[in-house]
Amino acid sequence: MKIRIPFLFLTIFFLAIFLVFYKGLQNSNIYVPNNNIEKELPNFQAQLFDKDSEILLKDILKKDKFYLINIWASWCVPCREEHSFLIRLSNQKNIEIVGLNYKDNRQNAKNFLKELDNPYQIIISDKDGTNSIELGAYGVPESFLIYNQKIIKKIIGPLNNKLFIEIKKIIK
Amino acid sequence: MYGRKVKFRFLFVLLILLTLFLSVFLILKSLEENVVYFQSPSEIKILSEIENKKIRVGGMVKINSIAMQAKEVKFIITDFKNEINVIYSGVVPNLFTEGKGVVAEGYLKDKNFFLATKILAKHDENYMPPEVKAALKEE
Amino acid sequence: MASLIGYYSLIFGFCFSFLIIFFSIKNFRDSNFFDSKLISLSFLQFFFVTISFLGLIISFVNSDFSNETVFNHSHTTKPLFYKISGTWGNHEGSLLLWLLVLTLFIFLFLLRSKNQTKQYRILTLLFQQIIIIGFFIFVIKTSSPFNFIFPIPNEGLGLNPILQDPALAIHPPILYLGYVGSSIIFSSTLAATSLNYISREWAHHIKQWVLISWVFLTIGILLGSIWAYYELGWGGFWFWDPVENVSLMPWLALTTLFHCILVLEKRLILTSWVVVLSIATFTLSMCGTFLVRSGILNSVHTFANDPERGLFILIFLFCLIFLSIFIFFFFHKVKTKNINSIFWFSKDASILINNWFMMYFLSVILIGTTYPIFLEVITSQKISVGPPFYNKLIVPFLIPFLLIMTIGPKLKWIKSDLKDKSYLILSLIFSLIFSILIIKNLNTSFLANTILITSAFYLFFSTLREFFKKRLLNLSQNIAHFGFSLLILSILFNNIFSTEIITNMKIGETFENKNFKINFVRVEKKDEQNFKSIIGKFNIENSNGNIEILRPELRIYNQPNIMTSEADIKTNLLNDQFMTMNLVQNQDYFNIRYQIKPFMVWIWLSVLLITFGALITLFRSKYEN
Repeated sequence: MKIRIPFLFLTIFFLAIFLVFYKGLQNSNIYVPNNNIEKELPNFQAQLFDKDSEILLKDILKKDKFYLINIWASWCVPCREEHSFLIRLSNQKNIEIVGLNYKDNRQNAKNFLKELDNPYQIIISDKDGTNSIELGAYGVPESFLIYNQKIIKKIIGPLNNKLFIEIKKIIK
Repeated sequence: MYGRKVKFRFLFVLLILLTLFLSVFLILKSLEENVVYFQSPSEIKILSEIENKKIRVGGMVKINSIAMQAKEVKFIITDFKNEINVIYSGVVPNLFTEGKGVVAEGYLKDKNFFLATKILAKHDENYMPPEVKAALKEE
Repeated sequence: MASLIGYYSLIFGFCFSFLIIFFSIKNFRDSNFFDSKLISLSFLQFFFVTISFLGLIISFVNSDFSNETVFNHSHTTKPLFYKISGTWGNHEGSLLLWLLVLTLFIFLFLLRSKNQTKQYRILTLLFQQIIIIGFFIFVIKTSSPFNFIFPIPNEGLGLNPILQDPALAIHPPILYLGYVGSSIIFSSTLAATSLNYISREWAHHIKQWVLISWVFLTIGILLGSIWAYYELGWGGFWFWDPVENVSLMPWLALTTLFHCILVLEKRLILTSWVVVLSIATFTLSMCGTFLVRSGILNSVHTFANDPERGLFILIFLFCLIFLSIFIFFFFHKVKTKNINSIFWFSKDASILINNWFMMYFLSVILIGTTYPIFLEVITSQKISVGPPFYNKLIVPFLIPFLLIMTIGPKLKWIKSDLKDKSYLILSLIFSLIFSILIIKNLNTSFLANTILITSAFYLFFSTLREFFKKRLLNLSQNIAHFGFSLLILSILFNNIFSTEIITNMKIGETFENKNFKINFVRVEKKDEQNFKSIIGKFNIENSNGNIEILRPELRIYNQPNIMTSEADIKTNLLNDQFMTMNLVQNQDYFNIRYQIKPFMVWIWLSVLLITFGALITLFRSKYEN
């Protein structure tokens, strides 16, 4: 009988610690970007990369189709790193990748694509960075997964294998 | 003999309890004094008074805001809603660049100026301090 | 191919766990002798895990990017050495390494415990198998290193350059040997407790395992700290970062355990204390794994952060804790006959008192590390606990700790008078004068530092004297304690006498203060296999006119694209000159840090000395066998 009290006490103590750690684990989930942003996409005039003409964003993005708007620049180091994923993603059937070339020198950007291959269906050029602000971007690289002209996922920073698999799951 | 044994055990337990209380007291007391709270620029804007306590400010380094001089580095931390000017002299970590997350530790001069004593970096290329992520998410 | 073999042999190894459990239970009930089949089975399990681990290494060496782990952590341009070390430089591979060491150690344990009773050996094996099964499930289910990806990428993502370093390449395996060694202590203590087998002979037998894991843990921590010193560019060796704390906690528990086991071996007292400490050591190692891997802690080090993995370790950890609490309370019988025979003036008492101090240090670190988690859960405030907290709570208590460490070994077991009284007092006075002379001219807080240095010198001199008295019996203990006093002294002097200059400079500029002149001469660029480097050249002229040239380096790795600074360190016996430079994007200023750190080498050497002392004990106890 004598041992029961410390035993119970210790068990309860450790259970409490367990609960706190468990809650702590749940908390660290907050840092994972939210899946459902479901924000209406802003519409803006954009300069095309290879031609000297402008186009409306909504004209590029058709309904009932997945798009990935990827903000990139040739001077951006992590963009190089995520490029292989973009190439792999461009081989997927049901998604098109729209590039948004951010504050870049056109010749450098062309060389970049020549060197690493071009995953983009269409590229718009954002010389002064205003388009990305309208999209609500934080920096380069950043990607927006679009469906039905709505942002369903926002990816800050370069793509990686985990995100790649996640995107593949979503578009299936 | 029996009495002595009991007395000994009693002393022993008393000593353990005493040291236990003492250490718990010490630990809690210095926790109170040495803990550093984390705040985002927006949280600082709504502070009612500026305390002379060490805090951490986190956010993104605003693009084109770094200005380096011989004695100090000036830059702006933003959480895309509010910003704060930071003045810092000391070691700049490798991963400190514009447009990336940063955590600065130091003292508030007023709501717009922060004197940093330390800039924290993490050895990871995609690092965004969790606090920054959480702060950015709140917008 | 290699990773396929690796995967299947991992599964095979897992199946062996069940075979072993089946045969051990059978053996436990049926026969009186230990079935040597169990040893072969353990060997086979170890063998299959080894094959699996080799499979992973081969995949890394061949840059087989169809394997997800290889893809995420390797690159074709990486040097071979780092391809291999990349195997355990990531979450999945490091867990496989854990498993490898777990199976290796239980196999060695069975080999080396021939003269223990059958029941004890089998029960230890069973407890160890519980841990092994837990890790097998963890590896296979949540973090398999053999995931296949398709389409096969042409190139991997590369290993974080900051980890591409010789010290850090061998740091994890050695640290794991220490962590996992404590699992053997854990299972054998549980076995001994449930069989009521704890005796002086048992203490003698388990002492070796304690020493082995202690040695590995110490060297592991030392390597990590050396790495942090030259790679992270802060010029310090200990940052009280959660990840570091997490390795220090089992170390403290293990050190305490070792001293307790000495008492147990001599006097058969403190049995419950030994049991609690053995459980705590392994639990703290596991707890460390949990805190680091789950991403629950906010640290400057990174590891794969995945809440699902965290949840698994958390549940597993607490199952082990509850199992041990259960066994401790329901099987452990205290032998009370000796309880009242501790005298205050004896070796046992001084060990016991210092045990309390160590437990106090341990709880300070434990609370400092986990408090942010608790606070965030309860009040959702985000905080961090910094070095001042630890320094303030630990440093003052080092004084009595060191004093007792000086006097304790001079006492006898059970009950004694203090011999050499006059000498002890003399050397105390001597240390006091010595430290006052050192501290006098400095503008640091005089009193605190003097007392601290006095107590460290006190231990230093008294252990030094022992060497000349040639008492071979206590040689190992004396070496270790001498090393400890040297460690404390070097750390103290390092803190007090360091000078540091941080400034921003352009190429060609000169920085000057009253002690020296730093001239930034030029930068050179170089191309290496997987990085480009920018090397700065600095002339440093001190007040005597001596010129020293330092060349800190910036490395820009190509895959992944990261910049790291490599400090240039000029080491000699008295001090280290340490310089790092850093470049901020789009700026023409370089951020320069120049430090003179006295007695740096002595910190590393003294830790080695302590380890050496432990090794002597280890070999001696083997020799006695």
